[in-house]
Parts: sequence; structure tokens; C-alpha cells
Amino acid sequence: MSAPPIRTRGLGKRYGTLVALEDLSLEVAEGEVFGFLGPNGAGKTTTIRLLLGLLRPDAGEIAVLGQRLPAHAVGWRRAIGFLPGDMAFWPRLSGWETLEFLARLSGRPPTARDRLLARLGLAGAELARPVRTYSDGMKQKLGLVQALQCAPRLVLLDEPTKGLDPLVQQAFYEIVADLKRGGATVFLSSHVLPEVERVCDRVAMLRRGAVVSLGDVEALRRSERRRVVADFAEPVDAARLAHFGEVVVARAEHVELLVAPAELPALISRLGMLPLADLVVERPTLEEAFLEHYR
Amino acid sequence: MSVASLLGHHVRLHRVPLVPLALGLALFEGVMTFVAGEPSVTRFLTSVLRSAPPELLALLNQDLLAGVSPRGIVGVGYTHPFALLMMGVWAVRVPSAALAGEVGRGTMDLLASRPVTRAAQVAAALLALLGGLAALALAAWLGTLAGLVLHPVEGVRASAYLPVAGALWALFACFGTIGVLASALARESGPAIAWTSGILAGSYVLDYAARVWPRIAALRPLSLFRYYEPQSALAGGIASADMAVLAGVAAVSVTLAFAVFARRDL
Repeated sequence: MSAPPIRTRGLGKRYGTLVALEDLSLEVAEGEVFGFLGPNGAGKTTTIRLLLGLLRPDAGEIAVLGQRLPAHAVGWRRAIGFLPGDMAFWPRLSGWETLEFLARLSGRPPTARDRLLARLGLAGAELARPVRTYSDGMKQKLGLVQALQCAPRLVLLDEPTKGLDPLVQQAFYEIVADLKRGGATVFLSSHVLPEVERVCDRVAMLRRGAVVSLGDVEALRRSERRRVVADFAEPVDAARLAHFGEVVVARAEHVELLVAPAELPALISRLGMLPLADLVVERPTLEEAFLEHYR
Repeated sequence: MSVASLLGHHVRLHRVPLVPLALGLALFEGVMTFVAGEPSVTRFLTSVLRSAPPELLALLNQDLLAGVSPRGIVGVGYTHPFALLMMGVWAVRVPSAALAGEVGRGTMDLLASRPVTRAAQVAAALLALLGGLAALALAAWLGTLAGLVLHPVEGVRASAYLPVAGALWALFACFGTIGVLASALARESGPAIAWTSGILAGSYVLDYAARVWPRIAALRPLSLFRYYEPQSALAGGIASADMAVLAGVAAVSVTLAFAVFARRDL
């Protein structure tokens, strides 16, 4: 069995006294789309930069495409496509010059370039212009093309849809789906939760440099507390329900609670003893699950 | 392969300023041959220099009072602050932009995430530095050659200035390698530019001050300009001891640059 494209064990990184990443252990399987979630400063970009060998870890181990890092060997990077979070180019080079230069450095032919340009709507005339004349959205599109043009096996994307309009975002989601179908592994960090929910197989949530949750998107949603909205025929004392979960709204006949899945049967039995008029149990969206971790 | 690609990248980024720098140097050295060929100018300069304070003459790094000759006046073109400035611009600009500049701009992520070793990045920066300086030194000498072809001066041969141009290249190559080291250490081009130009300017000032102020004359060997003596090169070729010092400083700087850049966070 081949090594997973990404494997880290106890990975840590400090900037002076600031702990940027602590004890990160994860494995990303071949062909998987893995989401990395977290607020600003959580350590997402640091993780990606460690995976690329741009930073040296202070603790732990990293192996990317079977190559242990840090390493003098650089051949493993031929199979990698990377989109930085803060997209920067050489302002005087044209889009074409930029793509040509970066493809040459990658050491692989840009077999996917034309298809990507067409899907992302970057025309030849635009590519002939210096990059300094590009809008942020165009720079992001150029960034996606440079990352994916050589058909990489492992794609690392830091905030990939930043600055893209909804139509181009749609095209990007289709590109990720195609990458997955083609067997590529995608590791993406994002703030856009519906995007992660839509394209990722698994997701890790990061907070202050540590993983607070890791699992497949569906299981993550399942494990999170349900919102139970109960309406009664007459006022009830919400405090009598508090031991089943967290009462978040209590207004006479209307009560809302956040309840762990395991507590649901007991709560529903208890509600049946009260003058219940209506009951709704909502599964959390990934966004709610995310917010629950960061509140 | 990656060194060649990176070198091409540096050439693309810096080719525009290289042209005016080279033309400026060539034109300046060409004009110096015209100045040197005019007997009235030689007479005028001799009288001016005899009355000039030695401090002013020291600024030109020349023992001009020993005898103003057309050959010496052409040589002044290789120590004149204008020529030093043209060479200095390249020695500061290219190394600073190559490593620290890429890190500061954010484009280093695009380079370093590809199969390019850090040693290749330093090597490409060095080649761009040394190649550009060679082009500038050659342009200076071609200016001298063109001037002497268009306006021959008795007793002055262009070939005599090839070692001088070589010494000029060696001096700024040495400063440039210090620039590569500064760039390998810095996170933005600003500090790298400040350090390199500061060392260059400080070295120039120290050399000048040590020549005009006997109390600090012993400090002169600390200045790299001490090891650049065009008039000596004209008289008897390049002093190998001077070249050895410049080569030694350059070797240490380059070794440290490779070592530091290979281990740092980008």
C-alpha cells in the first residue's frame, strides 16, 4: 500500500513565543478532498507552508507524497500544485509569461492549462497584459491556473475562492470535482463553510494552532448538537428542560435548546409529558458546527 | 534546468535598467577619452590639481599630482563616483530583489513550492549579479575602446584598461555577494538594500577618510575600496593580493548566503 499523500505526526511550529501550530496529526488519503477550517490566525496557512517545506517545523514529522520533510530533495514537488493565500505575481510580467515561467519551473508540461483557462474565463487578450493591470479576481484565476496547469497529483489551495465571483466559484467547484475524479488529492483551507461542505470529503477544524474537530463532513454534522424548537399550548418552565441540553431561547410557550444526539430520546420522552403543540429538530449546518467550536 | 529558468527570470526582471546603466557607463568612459586627448584640458587639469587640496584629490582615489597624463585621465573614469554609482546600483538592486525581494513580494511561495532547490535560487541570483556586472564593466571598457578608436590619444591603448575594468568588476562583485548574503537573511528587499548600500557607502567613506586623515590610516584595509587601485593596475597589472582579499570576502559571503538561505523559513 502506498503512503498517503499527506501525513503529519505531532507537528508544531512557533514564531518566537507565539504557538502557531501544536501537535497536529493528520493523514489525507489519495483522491480525497480535505478541508481545513479555522478563523484567521488558527494556523491554516502555517500548516500548508509546512507541508510545502517553506517553513521548518519545531516539532513533529511531516511526509508529503512519501517524502519526509525537511528534505534536500525537491523532486516530489513536481507533483504538487499550490495556490497561496495571498496571491502575488511579478507585476511587469504578462499572464502568459507568468504561466510559462512557472510551468517550466514545475518540470512538467502544462497539459491542463487550456482547459482551465477556458473554464475560468481567462482569455488570450487578458493574458497578454501585464499582471499589474489585473483585478484581484483575475489574479486569483491566474493563481488557480498556475497551480493546476501541470495536472498535479496533490493540490494545496489556501482560500481558493477569495475574490472570485459566484459563476467562477461554480466553475472552481467543478474543477475540484474533476480533480477528485482524476484521482488527485486536494487539501484546501477556507473560511467559506458552504464551500467546504459542498466539495470536501473530510474536514479538520483548527483553533489556536490545534485541531478541535476532525472527521467527514456528514459525521461532523451528525456529532454536533441538534437545535430543538418546541412550542407548547401553554407556558412551561424551560429550566425543567435544562438538564437535557443548553436552553438558548425561553419565551413562555416557545423554547429552543441545543441537545447532544444521545440526549434526544430522553428529551422527546420528557416533552411528551408536557402540553406540546409543535416540535422541530434541526440538524446543524457545517456553519453552525463551526461556530459552536469557535464561540 | 531550474537555475537556467531562474536566471532567465532575473534577466527579464532587470533587463530594462541594465540598458541605461551600460549605456551611461560606456558614454561616460568614451567622454573621458575625449577629455584625455585634449592637451588644453591636460594643461588645465594640471594647474587645477596643483592648487587643489589633497583631500579633494583623495576623493578621486588617484595620485594625480604625480603627473597628469592622458593615460591617467582615462583611468580616472574607472574611479569616478559616477562609474562607481552605476556599478553600485546593480550590485545592490539585483541581489536584494532576487531573494528578499521575492519573499517580501510574496512571489517566493510560487518559486519555492516548485522543484527548485534553495541552492539553485542563490546560484541564479549570483549568476544574474555577476553576469550583469560583467556586462557593465565590459560596457565601460567598450566605451573607452570606442572613444580611443574615434579619437586616438597618443600613448594610450584601450587594452591597458581591460585589467582595470576587470578590477572594477571584482570590487563590485564582492559588494554584490555581500548583497546576496544580506538578501538571504532578510524578509524584504528594503533591509537588504539598506545593508548592502550602507556597507558600500561606508566602505567608500572609510577609504576616503583613511587617506586624508592620518590618524585613521590604519583602518583603510577594512575598506574594500582599498583593494581597488586602477592606477596600479595600469602601471603593473592587477595586484594579486588585492584580488585575493576581494575573492576571500566574496567566498565567505557566498558560503554564508547558501548556508543561511538553505535553513531559513520562507
